Amino acid sequence: MTKRNYATVNPCVMCQPMGSALAFKGIENTMVLYHGSQGCSTYMRLHLAHHFREPVDIASSSLSEKGAVYGGRENLKKGLRNVINRYSPKVIGVATTCLAETIGDDVPAIIREFKEEEGIGDDPEKDIIIIPVSTPSYGDSHVSGYIKALDAVVRKFAEKPESQESPKKPEGSEKPEIPEDIEIMDYMENMEIMEYTEILEKEKAEENVGEAKSPGMKEAPDAEEAGNGKLNLIPVESLSPADVRELKEILAETAGDHIFLPDISETFDAPLRDELPKIASGGTPLAEITDMPNSRASLGLGVVSTNLAVGYLEASHGVPGHNVPIPIGLSNTDRFFTELVRILGCPVPEKYQKERGRLLDAMVDVHKYLYGVKAAVYGDPDTVFSLTRFMLELGMNPVLVATGSKSRDFGLRIREAFAEIRPDLETMVLDGIDFDTFNDAVKQSKPEILIGNSNGRYIAKACDIPLVRVGLPIHDRVGAQRILTVGYRGAMELLDRITNAILEATDTFTAPVQPDPVADADRVPKVL
Amino acid sequence: MKGKTGIVDTLEERQPYITRKQEKGDIIPLACDNTSLAGAISQRACVYSGARVVLNPVTDAVHLVHGPIGCAGYTWDIRGAKSSGVETNRSSFSTDMKEIDVVFGGEKKLSNAIDELVGIYHPPLVFVYSTCIVGIIGDDLESVCKTASKKHNIPVIPVKSEGFKGNKSDGYKAACDALKQLIVRPEVKKPKEGPEVKKPKINILGDFNVAGDVWLVKPLFEQMGIEVIVSMTGDSTAESISRAAEADLNLVQCSGSMTYLAKWMQQEYGIPYLTVSFFGTEDISIALRKTAEYFDSEEMKKIAEEILETEKNRIMPEISRVRESVKGKKAAIYMGGPAKALTLIKGFAELGMEVVIIGTQTGKKEDYEQISYSVRDGTVIVDDANPLELADLLVKQKADLMVAGVKERFIAYKLGVAFCDFNHDRVMEFEGFDGFVNFAKEVDASINSPVWKAVRQRNLKPETSESERAGVKERASGEPCAKKYKDVAVDPEFLQPNQDVAVESEV
Ligand code: SF4
Ligand code: SF4
Repeated sequence: MTKRNYATVNPCVMCQPMGSALAFKGIENTMVLYHGSQGCSTYMRLHLAHHFREPVDIASSSLSEKGAVYGGRENLKKGLRNVINRYSPKVIGVATTCLAETIGDDVPAIIREFKEEEGIGDDPEKDIIIIPVSTPSYGDSHVSGYIKALDAVVRKFAEKPESQESPKKPEGSEKPEIPEDIEIMDYMENMEIMEYTEILEKEKAEENVGEAKSPGMKEAPDAEEAGNGKLNLIPVESLSPADVRELKEILAETAGDHIFLPDISETFDAPLRDELPKIASGGTPLAEITDMPNSRASLGLGVVSTNLAVGYLEASHGVPGHNVPIPIGLSNTDRFFTELVRILGCPVPEKYQKERGRLLDAMVDVHKYLYGVKAAVYGDPDTVFSLTRFMLELGMNPVLVATGSKSRDFGLRIREAFAEIRPDLETMVLDGIDFDTFNDAVKQSKPEILIGNSNGRYIAKACDIPLVRVGLPIHDRVGAQRILTVGYRGAMELLDRITNAILEATDTFTAPVQPDPVADADRVPKVL
Repeated sequence: MKGKTGIVDTLEERQPYITRKQEKGDIIPLACDNTSLAGAISQRACVYSGARVVLNPVTDAVHLVHGPIGCAGYTWDIRGAKSSGVETNRSSFSTDMKEIDVVFGGEKKLSNAIDELVGIYHPPLVFVYSTCIVGIIGDDLESVCKTASKKHNIPVIPVKSEGFKGNKSDGYKAACDALKQLIVRPEVKKPKEGPEVKKPKINILGDFNVAGDVWLVKPLFEQMGIEVIVSMTGDSTAESISRAAEADLNLVQCSGSMTYLAKWMQQEYGIPYLTVSFFGTEDISIALRKTAEYFDSEEMKKIAEEILETEKNRIMPEISRVRESVKGKKAAIYMGGPAKALTLIKGFAELGMEVVIIGTQTGKKEDYEQISYSVRDGTVIVDDANPLELADLLVKQKADLMVAGVKERFIAYKLGVAFCDFNHDRVMEFEGFDGFVNFAKEVDASINSPVWKAVRQRNLKPETSESERAGVKERASGEPCAKKYKDVAVDPEFLQPNQDVAVESEV
């Protein structure tokens, strides 16, 4: 339509606290409390419940006018007390909303005070662990909220119990995540920290890892001595419960012992069994999170955003970190298995060789339907990156690749993928968009199919093209929690869904399409 | 700290908000109308949400949320309010405030955003909602809106809905305050010659046209010779709202949100109001009769009776069929506002069902008194309930069906309790005569689906299920329906959904 500079129309992101809930909810026996006013928490619960079709309990410190003016200390403490009373959680993730950030509450300090008052120590074995994350939404999106929360969790559990309570230590060990004085600009500081962690990570990668140590750490855990031999798996974006299940299965059959953080496979897709637990069962066990610094390596899923937790484990605990793309599609899954084999020295199980063979078979079966089909894909940066690579492998033409998050490396990575797989194709890459901008881009690039979350349905309808639903939110169809995209099986399912959507939309579409870019331009569905 | 009463296990501070109706006429000592308790996981949203749900159905307005992205994002097209014309309201507009706006103030960005959106969409009206952080940083919405309004020559109305300044009810009020500014004083005074000379006109206040509700209600009045100027706010426009003061009478349906506006219109324009409901045959009858009575026209009364008779006769067979299959079942009601809760009690009575739990997010003292008159002894009444309380109550009160919104749905499902959405998520009209048929059908489908039977057996136990099957077969062979379906490969137990089967012992 017209270029806009000030107003956002139909947002393509959710806010930071939402991302943190997606992460916290994958931890055993964990409750989430938003420090802020009631509305935010209710809205985000609604959003998540709608997507996962599960009850989603998120507490709020329910700041009222008084709290907003005089600070939310008492409300936050009361909120924590009530949550402990009613839910008996082992962990409480405390994420700040915009309101709390704006009034400038010092959340870590309030939590320290609360723990002192209630006599809560820092022993993960018996004490309630309270983990604050600073997530002002005006700083970033749900993607960064997710990454920050996981980082905060890993840091918290990696802390040595000896340093508990004694007021000298806690802020020191938490400092990089939440600066002491939370002020409006603290997000900036966080950004610096991200860069910092990144630098650390790079340094460690260049040097010889494994031997790394940092001040304040015991001895560097030697893989042979102190190591647990496990593999950490930490995604950079929220995957579906089905995806998590699939990855865990792969790991069980290759790595054996592994730690998947955060494990939402049950917490957001709970079986209907005997009773309704107050906190959904499942999630990454706390003992395992504590054990993460002793693992032989960490595998980060996602290469566009920086995986802070993986970086931290490497920089501070000498756990070598490897980041690979989210394993969606053939080459990304190949890369994933290759990395597993490299780290673990295990063979690829026959089962997956067969699955891979089946995927190849399926790709051959559908190649004519997909060749040259113009697609627009949108969503979270790393998911979109992996999806785009898969589409390129299939011979599709991703004419428009977009994410709602602001991302420094998104464009770069996407262009690299094009250069590697299909240097002959041109594409439009956008980040930090809203759906109105995306709509304009769709009109310009004229895709024949959309791939992304359900918020694209308006555009798909208006342009009369199919939408293959992937990502979050999916509010207008059932089964979001069971959408499988990762691994060879996920690739096959995705492949089938995309192909069938195209077949459905173009019933007469049976002939192979000319790989002629000029002809391509004409082979466009009616566009509004 | 854990307190216990006879009703549910909950926080001590929450106990006064839950009560049980004991004896007829007892005034119930229920606490309500307070801010939610920190950490208690209220099902309420915020002031902004209250304002947004009331105003959002104004179809041709740009609804601009001044605040960070989330508040706007989560309310994007969440209300299934239908429009017969443009659908500007279905887009989500936000100033997406950033760090810099928080530090230096967002007024500039806001006024630019208004200019931009007006330039693109040419709306006849802009609502500007303030959110929590705007309340903190203190942007002067009033003056920005005033300037923009002058500049573009359309109403640009600030909605004072900072999330933390109260609860959802305060949002209703903020919305009404915004609507007030849109209503134009009619130029010609009402004719003195008497009401018969002109066609009587009404407004419907508090109908949001969810799933097209209003379209089933309006024709009833039109048949009676009454013009409905506007329904606030379902399927309304800036233009139709501006004419609201020409009405002779206001019919208030959602009393929680709209009584404030109705009272104001009475004061300001001398328009009286009646509180009505268009849900269920009983309440529709009352609404039509009261209206005809108000206009004191024999003709109108006659038509009203005719409508009622034909319509009731038309839908009765279906209603009776459902009634047969659901009567005696127990319902739980948890609504945003008290008006819907009250009318649902009657609706369930028409279906032969009993209400065992009733609660609201925003009820006031008078509302709960009225509710307690309308329910039977033993019914639990609750204000601002949280998930654990609701779950506990559903089990303890042995509810068969819950009527509420999305967040409550999955609590009910996990407990194996049927659920029916009465909020903005539904796709079927529930108002008017056909709406009531829709509702009855939905209740039927919710309660009588065989999945509830399946769900009772939570774990597979091969030994018992073998013997169950033998038992069921034995029993079924003696029953007529089994004979009828003898050759069909259907498990006979599913043919009689109401019959209690022995698998219950598995739970
Ligand atoms: S920030 Fe305030 S206005 Fe926005 S959703 Fe949260 S409580 Fe409501
Ligand atoms: S105030 Fe911030 S945290 Fe709350 S909903 Fe809005 S954007 Fe999200």
